[in-house]
Amino acid sequence: MASPGSFLRSTSFRLLAWYAVVFGASVAVLFVIVYLITLAALDEQLSDSVERETEVLVELYRTRGLDSIVRAIELRTAELRPPRRYYLLQDAAGKRIAGNLPPMKPVEGERVLPVRSLFADPASKPDDPADSHPVVAQGRDLGNGRFLLVGESRYRAVKAREAIVRALAWGIAITVLLAAAGGAALGRGFLRRIEEINRTTRSIMDGDLAQRVPVSGGGDEMDRLAVNLNAMLDRIQALMESLKRVSDDIAHDLRTPLSRLRHRLEAARGRTGPHGDVVIEQSLAEVDAILETFSALLRISQIESGARRAGFSEISLERVVSDVGEAYAPVAEDRGQRLKTVLTGVPLIQGDRELLTQMVANLIENPIRHCPADVDIIIGLALEGGSPVLRVADTGPGIPALEREKVFRRYYRLEASRTTPGSGLGLALVKAVADLHGASVELSDNNPGLCVTIRFPAPAAPQARIPHSRR
Amino acid sequence: MKILLIEDDAQTSAYVAKGLREHGHVVEHSPSGRDGLLLASGGGYDVMVIDRMLPGLDGLAIVKTIRAAGARAPVLLLTTLGGVNDRVEGLEAGADDYLTKPFAFAELLARINALARRPPMAEEAAVLRVGDLELDRLKRTVTRGGKRIELQPQEFRLLEYLMRHAGQVVTRTMLLENVWEFHFDPHTSVVETHISRLRAKVDREFAEELIHTVRGSGYSLGVSR
Repeated sequence: MASPGSFLRSTSFRLLAWYAVVFGASVAVLFVIVYLITLAALDEQLSDSVERETEVLVELYRTRGLDSIVRAIELRTAELRPPRRYYLLQDAAGKRIAGNLPPMKPVEGERVLPVRSLFADPASKPDDPADSHPVVAQGRDLGNGRFLLVGESRYRAVKAREAIVRALAWGIAITVLLAAAGGAALGRGFLRRIEEINRTTRSIMDGDLAQRVPVSGGGDEMDRLAVNLNAMLDRIQALMESLKRVSDDIAHDLRTPLSRLRHRLEAARGRTGPHGDVVIEQSLAEVDAILETFSALLRISQIESGARRAGFSEISLERVVSDVGEAYAPVAEDRGQRLKTVLTGVPLIQGDRELLTQMVANLIENPIRHCPADVDIIIGLALEGGSPVLRVADTGPGIPALEREKVFRRYYRLEASRTTPGSGLGLALVKAVADLHGASVELSDNNPGLCVTIRFPAPAAPQARIPHSRR
Repeated sequence: MKILLIEDDAQTSAYVAKGLREHGHVVEHSPSGRDGLLLASGGGYDVMVIDRMLPGLDGLAIVKTIRAAGARAPVLLLTTLGGVNDRVEGLEAGADDYLTKPFAFAELLARINALARRPPMAEEAAVLRVGDLELDRLKRTVTRGGKRIELQPQEFRLLEYLMRHAGQVVTRTMLLENVWEFHFDPHTSVVETHISRLRAKVDREFAEELIHTVRGSGYSLGVSR
């Protein structure tokens, strides 16, 4: 899976960050609106409450007279604890008749009064913290200079506002957290599926064309992308297979007429005079070269099909390499090259001796044929990290780095080697045989020259000791 | 030599039959697997040449059937495909040798001769002798005219194969397959190089040349007639 660094760099992280910011901002705006509306509603509720109480008392004064309003105010100031209400009934002289507020200048209508300012005497200041809040008050002239003031502390509204702010703060925090978590989960899912697609394309590039992108079945855009990718891969695979089939078919079908041509040329040999014989010999050589190319093509196809794996048995790479090395040492020597085989013990592997022999032979023939005299060719077989590793290194002209990958292609030939005979299939066959054995092929610079490294998979430990494998 | 040829391709069979007759052999030909099996079961052939792919009855099935019936005549299987498994399958079915089409006629002739004249005892003989050349398979020594010749392991195997087929033509391919177990055509002169080294050791210091080059076919070891 992706590392944390790549997660921060990823598209889905940027998407997630934007998502959290936009989501958090809209939630904040929503909360501010809710807050303002609630505050307004609370204020209105407070004014309503004060006004209703004032009406009740005014009504009481008008219908029942001064005594009953005084009694009512005394009753209310005696029993009402927070949420606190404030009352003041004063006469024309500005003297308090009833209530819990000091006398004041009579002002009609609604006002907001800071409580502290009402109490001129600091000693009579209320000790209840509820009393420290501003008071929404309603003043009413009762006639004859009598003045009634009913007030209610904003304490409850303030408390409610604090509660709302707290709730909203928590709400925003939780929302942002949820948005981040949800976004991360979505992003991870998204990344995972992108990574699945990447993994698939990588293994396809490694040659496993049968790989497909997994489809979750949800039918979302990612699924549609996966389905389309898979459809494209199916199409490519079908095209490649038909191309391969066509080339195999051509190779196969042309063999019969070419065989007949060869027979006819052979039959004609010795009957056309010395000049004719030369032409016939040359033609036979050409036919043989074509037939050999077809053979090699068919052989590579068959190796690639994997059918040959059924015939795997336990074989000694050491034997194969030393036999082939011994076969080619005098050939190299005759060309003025030095062929050296350096073998260290490696465990037996499961493989196909005939194909491995051909592979090693191709690897050794390559430098013998393409390098000039006076080069060293070293064939090494050693155990590296539990894996048998075969190296064929030469001190010849080498292959330019850019062309190294291409030499495994069928028919690919370096410009420099176009004049030497060969089908251009040698390394393609090496690659096919290596693939069949699960081995990797790597070309590197030998400074100077070329080094080909074949890394076999580490043989399973018990298998190496069982003389007869079940396979 | 009496040879049975079971081959469905008219051109190939005409060419093979004609060539073999020109070399003094009696050839009976069957283009179908079933008729071929009947002929083969009748016996009396020195060598049977059977195509791997036949209409009606597969070449492999014919070989298995006649081997099961106890026929001992050597069988040369012809394979059409560049089939990597054909050789193993053919040998397992009971064929003695195989040849991949297309082939040079000289190759076919050399293999037929090698199969037909295979002396049963020479396989087991501990000491092979050709003229004054002597090869001891147990002691792994070679002497000529009593003089010891030191050979590399692959040179020893090459000489041993040539001596076992003394007087016969052995082709380059036969040597590659039997001496080096190379079932492919190398692009370098592996056989020629080893033959020339062997010649340098076996023939150079001696009056008579034992290893002969047969033009267009291969090599032959023997005392000149």
